[in-house]
Amino acid sequence: MTFAERLASGPVLLLDGGMGSMLFARGLGAGESPEHWTLARGSEVVAIHRAYVEAGSDAVQTNSFGAHPLRLAAAGLAGRASEVARVSAAHARASAARYVIGDIGPTGEYLPPVGLGDAEEFRRGFTELGRAFAAAGVDALHVETMSDLAEARSALAALLEAAPGIPVCVSLTFERRRRGFFTVMGDRLEEALPSLRDAGAAAVGANCTLASADFLALATTARSSCAGPLVFQPNAGAPRLEAGQAVYDQTPEEFAADVADIAAILGATGGAGAVGGCCGTDPRFIAALAAELARRGLR
Amino acid sequence: MPSPLPPPPIPPIAPIVPIAAMRDAVVAGDAARARELAVALVASGTDLIAAVEDGFGAGIRRVGELWEEGEYFLPELVQGAEAMKAAMSEILPALALRRGGSLARGRVVLGTVKGDLHDIGKGLVGVLLAAHGFEVHDLGHDVPVERFLAKAREIDADIVAASALLTTTMPEQRRLAEAIAASDLARKPKVLIGGAPTSPGWAASFGATHAENALRAVAAAEALLP
Repeated sequence: MTFAERLASGPVLLLDGGMGSMLFARGLGAGESPEHWTLARGSEVVAIHRAYVEAGSDAVQTNSFGAHPLRLAAAGLAGRASEVARVSAAHARASAARYVIGDIGPTGEYLPPVGLGDAEEFRRGFTELGRAFAAAGVDALHVETMSDLAEARSALAALLEAAPGIPVCVSLTFERRRRGFFTVMGDRLEEALPSLRDAGAAAVGANCTLASADFLALATTARSSCAGPLVFQPNAGAPRLEAGQAVYDQTPEEFAADVADIAAILGATGGAGAVGGCCGTDPRFIAALAAELARRGLR
Repeated sequence: MPSPLPPPPIPPIAPIVPIAAMRDAVVAGDAARARELAVALVASGTDLIAAVEDGFGAGIRRVGELWEEGEYFLPELVQGAEAMKAAMSEILPALALRRGGSLARGRVVLGTVKGDLHDIGKGLVGVLLAAHGFEVHDLGHDVPVERFLAKAREIDADIVAASALLTTTMPEQRRLAEAIAASDLARKPKVLIGGAPTSPGWAASFGATHAENALRAVAAAEALLP
């Protein structure tokens, strides 16, 4: 069953959890980009993917969040975007996950009027990543943690063209404001998600910024305003710093209970979408979520 | 024969610039209009400080309120600040000329700490500080402690402001504060920090001041001035 068929007909798909926090736990230094480990310490990355597969993830997402050429250049890895995409896909494949999703994060720059980003340069970089991931044979692509709908749309359009036939999921990152859920650019959830779906996204949703309890409210709003598969990856609560280390107070069980509620909102039948975790979540969270989904008959 | 009475003072002939128009230009994020009003204001010879405070200044405060209320978002906030900056770029030189000196309210070295590429919040702080009359030296992102220190020394900074958006880069803020405290600078700049994972308690643990967001950073910087 292809990823698209599974997304359209199966029950909720279980994604993986955080990658960055896992890399830090294995010694990624401050100031070192995660993509550097894709290029230099692949066995560590494969081990993280494997841990998620063992925890129950149906799909793992490549360690390539910062692989847009603009972002790579800022991290001292200029000109290596295609290589990061290809190598990261091989690492994800080596985990024996059922599906491999090419992960694509933002450029790290902002379009006018907020920043000086060049839309054409944005598009070129996304096109390069789309071609490289398609050549590497990924099952799907996931544009995530986008705080600007315009950038997300630019990525989606470029990827649909560069990687024909490969489903593209898109997740924005929302803040909870008095009047609802908005990106920092002011894109309103109820309008942003349907617009991405209409533009050809296989699944649309949200990740990062908010913890699972806020995501429950977010998912309710999203389900009532947008048809089709949805994808949600909340953070594990808000981090606090203890002796120089990021500490997340939420337990895997609390996270799993909230995200299983989200999965129930998505629907128990086909075309529900996918859930997983973002910053601060690790294989324990995904294992707890897998158990909770099974217990409730949602997966 | 008694000398004649001195003639009454001649009122300014330039048109009065409406305060509300200045405020509205900033709230609307219209930099061209704000600059045009500022030029007219300087030419009118009225009290610039009062006009800035009640006009453009009221505008940027309103923009801040609208942002905190969730009505305005990043684009509106940035455009409001740019309009304020455009107006101040006309007014500050005129004020300095009238006063016969520099009018910068304080000199700030600004940057995102080493290992951290998050630029947007920090950039916003720079725009807003400049809009409020600070002389801002923005070193960009991924700035090592040594560069903060060198620039602070070079410009005799009042404030060093450091942003960190990652729990993994926050410790750089502490390193910066400790390096400033341990430095041989005759006048040690105050340290202002911010960024999503930071907190007042974190700042206090190394004698720095915390700002929750870009607007609060302006108020905090003003409070830190001698």
